Amino acid sequence: MRLFIDFVPLLLWMGLVTALVIVMLLASWVLRPHVLQNSEKTSTYECGEEPLGPARISFPYSYIIYTVLFLVVDVMGAFMWLYAVSALRTSVFVVWQVVVFAAVIMAAVMFVLKILPKAQMTGPEVVALYEAAKEQATGLHSEG
Amino acid sequence: MQEAEILFENIEFLLIAGVVIVLAYLALEHRDIVYAAFFFGFMATGVAGIFILLEAPFVAGLQIAIYTGGITALIIFGVLLIPRAQDSTLEVLHSPRMRKVGLVLSISVVVISALIALLFPWQESIPPEHIPLSQSLEGLAEWLWGTHAVYLEIIAMLLFVGLVGSVAIIRMEKEEQLRPRTEDFSLPIPEESEPESATSGMPVLEARDVKEEKEVE
Amino acid sequence: MVPLSWYMVLALILIGMGAYGMVSKRNLIRILISAEIMANGVNIALIALALYGPFFTFTAQALVILVIAVAAAETALAMVLMLLYHRRYRTVDLGIPVTRTEEVS
Repeated sequence: MRLFIDFVPLLLWMGLVTALVIVMLLASWVLRPHVLQNSEKTSTYECGEEPLGPARISFPYSYIIYTVLFLVVDVMGAFMWLYAVSALRTSVFVVWQVVVFAAVIMAAVMFVLKILPKAQMTGPEVVALYEAAKEQATGLHSEG
Repeated sequence: MQEAEILFENIEFLLIAGVVIVLAYLALEHRDIVYAAFFFGFMATGVAGIFILLEAPFVAGLQIAIYTGGITALIIFGVLLIPRAQDSTLEVLHSPRMRKVGLVLSISVVVISALIALLFPWQESIPPEHIPLSQSLEGLAEWLWGTHAVYLEIIAMLLFVGLVGSVAIIRMEKEEQLRPRTEDFSLPIPEESEPESATSGMPVLEARDVKEEKEVE
Repeated sequence: MVPLSWYMVLALILIGMGAYGMVSKRNLIRILISAEIMANGVNIALIALALYGPFFTFTAQALVILVIAVAAAETALAMVLMLLYHRRYRTVDLGIPVTRTEEVS
C-alpha cells in the first residue's frame, strides 16, 4: 500500500473544486448585465469617497517584523507537531529537548517584542522629521 | 491491480510535474510581481504533491506549512510594503541581453549536470524494484527528536539569529531615517555648481570612452 | 513505480529555471523567488535519491527539513535587507548607479 493512494480523494476533490470555480465564473458571466465599462465603473470602491491614487500604497517598513514572527512561530509549530504525534511524549529527555528548543525561539520572540517599540517611529519623531524636511525645502526654495 | 497502480502513479507524476514546471515558468516570467509570488506559492504546493509521491509525508506538510504558508506570505507582504517593487518597466527594457546570458548559463548547468550523471553511473549502484516502505511519521519523529535533536537546536539558533538580525536591521533603518547620512565613504556632498564631480568614477569613464571613439573616427 | 530518472529530470529542470532567473532578472524579489525554486529542485533530488537508495536512512529527510528551515530564516533576512535597500536607493532593481549622495543633493 503506497502512500499516495491515501491522497487520491484529495486529488479528486481538487478537480471538483477547480470545476466548481470555473462553473461559478461562467455562470456569473452569463447572468450579469453587460454594460459599458468606463473608468468610473472599474475604479476602486471606497465607501462614499472619491478614490485617491492606486490601492497599493506603502506602509511603514517595521510592520514586516510581524510576518517574520509568524514565520518563526510557524517553523516552531511544525517541529513541535512532529513531537506531539509521536510516542516520545512521555520521554523525559525528549521533553527537556523540546523545552530548550522552544525556550531559544521564545527568547528571540520576547526580545523582538521588547525592542520593537524602540525600532518604530514615534509620533513626535515623525513630526520633527517632517518639520526639518519642510524647513530645508523652504530654505532651498528661497535660495533658488 | 498492480499495473493499474503503476500506471496511475506515472500519470499522477506527469500531471504534478507539468503543473509545477508551468507554475515555475509563470513565477519567473509574469509581469506583476504579486502574481509571481502567488504562482510561487502554488508551485510549492505542487512540490508537496511530489513529496507525497516520494513517501515523505512530514516533508510535504512542512513544505506546505513553511513555503506556501510562511515564505509566500512574507514575500507578498514585503512586496506590499515596498511601493515600487511592482514597477517592472526597467526589467522589460533591459532584459533581452541578460535573457540570452541566463539561457546560456542555465542550459550549460543542465548539460554539465547531465554529463556528470552519465559519466558517473550512479544508477547502476541502485538495485531496481527496491521499494522501501519503512518511512513513517513515527520513525522520523524517533530519529529526529530522539537521537538527533541537536539538528533542531541548530534550527532554533538559526531562527533566533534571523529574528534578532531582522529587528536590528529595522532599528538601523529608523536611525537612518532620523539622522540621514549625507555622505558615503567620506566623500563630500556634491555642490550644485559642479555636477561633474557629483558621481565619482562613472562620468570620467564615459568621457574617456567618448574621446576614444572620436579618435577612432 | 516511477523511475528515478524522471524525478532527477524534474529537479534538473527546476534548478535550470532557477539559474536562468537568477542571472537574467533584475528585480531582487524575483531573484529571491528564483533561489527558492532552485532550493525546491534540490529538495526533490534529495528525497528521490533517499527513497530509491540501496538502504534507507532518515538523513536525507533531515537534510531537507534543515534546508526548509534555513530557507525560512534566509527569506526573512533577505526581505528585511531588501527593505533597507529600498530605503537607501528607492528601488529594488539591481544595477542602477544611484548613490545616496545623488539622492540627497
